[in-house]
Amino acid sequence: MPEKLDVKQGTLALMILRTLDVLGPLHGYGVARRIEETSGNRLTLNYGTLYPALLKLEQEGCISAEWRQSENNRRAKYYTLTPAGRKQLAREAREWHRTADLIAAFLAPPPETA
Amino acid sequence: MRHLRAALARIAGVFTGHRAEDDLREELQAHLDMETAEYIRRGMAPDGARRKALLASGGLTTAAESVRAQRGLPWLEGVAADARYALRALRHNPAFTAVVVITLALGIGANTAIFSVVRGVLLKPLPHRDGDALVYLRHSMDGPGGANMRFSVPEVVEFRRDAKTLAGIAEYSTFNFTLRDGGDAVNIDAALVTGNFFEVLGLSPVLGRLTQPGDDGTSAAPVMVLTHAYWSTHFDADPHIVGRQVRLDGKLVTIIGVVEPAPWFPSRVDALLNMVVSEHHTSALMVQGRTHRMSDVLARLTRGASVEDARTELTGIHARMQRAFRDAYDAGSHYRVAVIPYKEVLGERARLTLWLLMGTAAFVMIISAANVVNLTLMRGVRREHELVVRAALGAGSVRLRRLLLVENLVLTGMGAALGVGIALGGVRLLVAFAERYSPRANEIRLDVAVLGFTFALAVTIALLLSFVAYLPREGALASMISAGGRRMSGGVRMQRLQRALVVAQIAVSFVLLAGAGLLTRTTMQLSGVRTGLRTEEVLTMQVALLTTAQLDVSSVTAVQAMAADADAKLRYARMRREIRALPGVIEVGIGSSVPLRSSLVQFDLKVEGRNTVPGETMPRADFRTASAEYFRAAGIPLQRGREFLVTDRVGSGRVVIVNEALAKQIFPGEDPIGKRVAWTGDILRFTPLSGDWRTVVGVVGNTRDGGLDTKPQPVMFLPFAQELAMGGGFVIRAERDAASLAAAATRIVRRIAPAAPVENVMTVAQIKDQSLSARRLNAALVSSFGGLAAIIAAVGIAGVLAFSVSARTNDIGIRMSLGAGSGMVQRMILKEGGVLLGAGLVIGVAGAIVVGRLMRGLLFGVAPHDPATLAGVAVMLGAIGFAACWFPARRAARIDPSIAMRS
Repeated sequence: MPEKLDVKQGTLALMILRTLDVLGPLHGYGVARRIEETSGNRLTLNYGTLYPALLKLEQEGCISAEWRQSENNRRAKYYTLTPAGRKQLAREAREWHRTADLIAAFLAPPPETA
Repeated sequence: MRHLRAALARIAGVFTGHRAEDDLREELQAHLDMETAEYIRRGMAPDGARRKALLASGGLTTAAESVRAQRGLPWLEGVAADARYALRALRHNPAFTAVVVITLALGIGANTAIFSVVRGVLLKPLPHRDGDALVYLRHSMDGPGGANMRFSVPEVVEFRRDAKTLAGIAEYSTFNFTLRDGGDAVNIDAALVTGNFFEVLGLSPVLGRLTQPGDDGTSAAPVMVLTHAYWSTHFDADPHIVGRQVRLDGKLVTIIGVVEPAPWFPSRVDALLNMVVSEHHTSALMVQGRTHRMSDVLARLTRGASVEDARTELTGIHARMQRAFRDAYDAGSHYRVAVIPYKEVLGERARLTLWLLMGTAAFVMIISAANVVNLTLMRGVRREHELVVRAALGAGSVRLRRLLLVENLVLTGMGAALGVGIALGGVRLLVAFAERYSPRANEIRLDVAVLGFTFALAVTIALLLSFVAYLPREGALASMISAGGRRMSGGVRMQRLQRALVVAQIAVSFVLLAGAGLLTRTTMQLSGVRTGLRTEEVLTMQVALLTTAQLDVSSVTAVQAMAADADAKLRYARMRREIRALPGVIEVGIGSSVPLRSSLVQFDLKVEGRNTVPGETMPRADFRTASAEYFRAAGIPLQRGREFLVTDRVGSGRVVIVNEALAKQIFPGEDPIGKRVAWTGDILRFTPLSGDWRTVVGVVGNTRDGGLDTKPQPVMFLPFAQELAMGGGFVIRAERDAASLAAAATRIVRRIAPAAPVENVMTVAQIKDQSLSARRLNAALVSSFGGLAAIIAAVGIAGVLAFSVSARTNDIGIRMSLGAGSGMVQRMILKEGGVLLGAGLVIGVAGAIVVGRLMRGLLFGVAPHDPATLAGVAVMLGAIGFAACWFPARRAARIDPSIAMRS
């Protein structure tokens, strides 16, 4: 079994936004399952990590929430990406790519010196 | 934007928590159910599935807690809980709470009240547009009446032409008029102003219009602008006042507007008029006479020019004037011009007194804060146990500090609220007090800035209290828990702090009491000053029959003036006769002004056969007239020669009586009787006075006309009958109770001259009292602050000693059981207090000497380091301090060793 990782602060918000971007409106359980699957089960999300993050995004206006019937007829709170959230996602993804490139450049093996 | 939105959502979350709570529970439950269902779908038994789901959740309660933390502001909610706890704790400790709150309230109240006065009178921006650019020009010279001698029109014209640093120069002069508006005649204080006056001052009308340059010159119609205060009080704020015509000294004047509230200098005015109202002010004498100095000058600095620039430039222009017109500027008198910010001039008389009071209030604050710190420290020691337990249960030191801070904020908040209540009452008294010193007293208000000051003060004290308190350190926990609740001494560091605070309290009280002592001695010295009158049973009143307009040589013919004068003299004679006939009246005299009031008219003098050396200051003297009975009625002693006689009248030889000060100045070591003197100077051209030689026939004693704290001025009296009947000051001497004559005398005057205003009906004792009352009030204020400080300090020293005794009960018990007598224990505690007291007194003496020097300007007849005052305060404070030490010492001496050691 691969080593389990804790979610780094800040990256969870990005994952949630991306999940909602790809799958559309989804409840907390769905978001958690999707993130765990996407990470190849290397990440586990307990409620205490997930729900505060969702609430924070909601407070920031990146996502909105409403109660709906789920596919198997259960009441669940569904989160939807807002236009502001979409912009925020684009911005954070860009940031993340830049940072990743930068770090990658640093960690690349040094060029051979003659 | 995103963060702001989140912050708002969280603040909202504080209040909507309970609704969101159900939501959250349902959401988490749904998650759990879905996960369980998923495990069952994968083939697990329902029980196992549920257990696995619960395990994965990481605990529902913990999750809910984290969400709650994100939802609202846990910090704020924690603070609210702390505040509730603090209130509960304080309620359980009512004595402590009451003492702290009252101590703080007194300190905060005193500071808030005094600060509101300081702000209103000294600090607040002027109501004038761009008021910081307004400057007052002061013309002064050496010698009597030279402190502020004002400017003549030609001087102002030159400044206006040449000064680049001044954008606008306005002239004004204060003037008295009799106003008739239908009914009674009233006297009003007016200012005659140039058309640009309001433009320069930057004031706007609340009604109608203000004077404009078009109102200047002799052809303009006479117009009047009312001040806001006079319009409100005298015209009941009539909104239709504009256009109304009133009579001023008989002349018809139109009211054109009301100006917004503003402070006036040098004195309050009721109305502002254009110059044409006084023919004198547009006459050649006024407009061309270089020594005819009647105008106060206010100017507006050019944008970018500083006060210093203007000062340099005006001094230059003035020096040029002095070279060009040597006759108008006697070189020995050092004529000079000062440029003073208007705000500063307005606060001039109040500044020293107000800063003294502010300092006093600050000292009281220091003492009360020190006391509260001490109380909190002692309470902190008793609470050590509680804090240790809290720390042991996981409260970090930040958390404990927050608890203390919230508690102290609750305490200081209550103190501040009560303090503002005290200040509200105090401000009303202080406004009456400030009116004696400042034209801005009506601007004193407990406004947002003042409350902000109070708030800042309360928060500062709360912070201070929270950070001196001793907190259990995390490392030291174990030892403290094992020591249990028995450690009560609070450690060496804390005791040192407490002692330092007590020493500071005593030192500060000493300074305050010494200041109060100096001010009280000053008023005592002043009331002991001899007025120069032999009796105080003298009633004085001022009844002006002739108006300036009737005498103005530039507008009326000599014959008209003579007729008006003759009529006035007849009526004065009738009044004198009738008042003299009242029962209880011994003598009635009349003169241009009454004794103990300044005449405000001084002229240069020359002595026959003597030339002034160039560079020597010209002798100057007060001009006054007196009837034959004047000196006898006032009780002014005749020292040489004779009094005026009824034979000294128009046509007989011109004679004068000089006072002792003048005699000493111009005839040192000689007998003045028979010598001849004359008024002199360019300025006589503008007055009805002649420069003829006059023979000195008598010398009278000095009187304190400029106030009890000033040196007697040189005065030259002329016979009332030989000069125009100006002023009309009655001096009525009674057998007893002069005040009771006031009503009867006023009735007589009213009957004979119904149109004349009757002013300043006061006995000599009342005049004297009036000149002292401001200082008395001042001394009383500082004394009560000093007394308050001494009481607080006494409570402080007693409290600290009592605490020290109770902390050492055990130790004292051991000493006694080993043979120490109760006297010895008592001495030990007394010594402990005595050391603190002694240190405080020594520091206090040093501080009092420094402060005494700073307040030198407020003292009269006492040195700033007056040994009697310092010794008196030391004895008094020493006695209070000793008494405060004595009670805890006696309690220590009565400790029963067996009980003490068992506890």
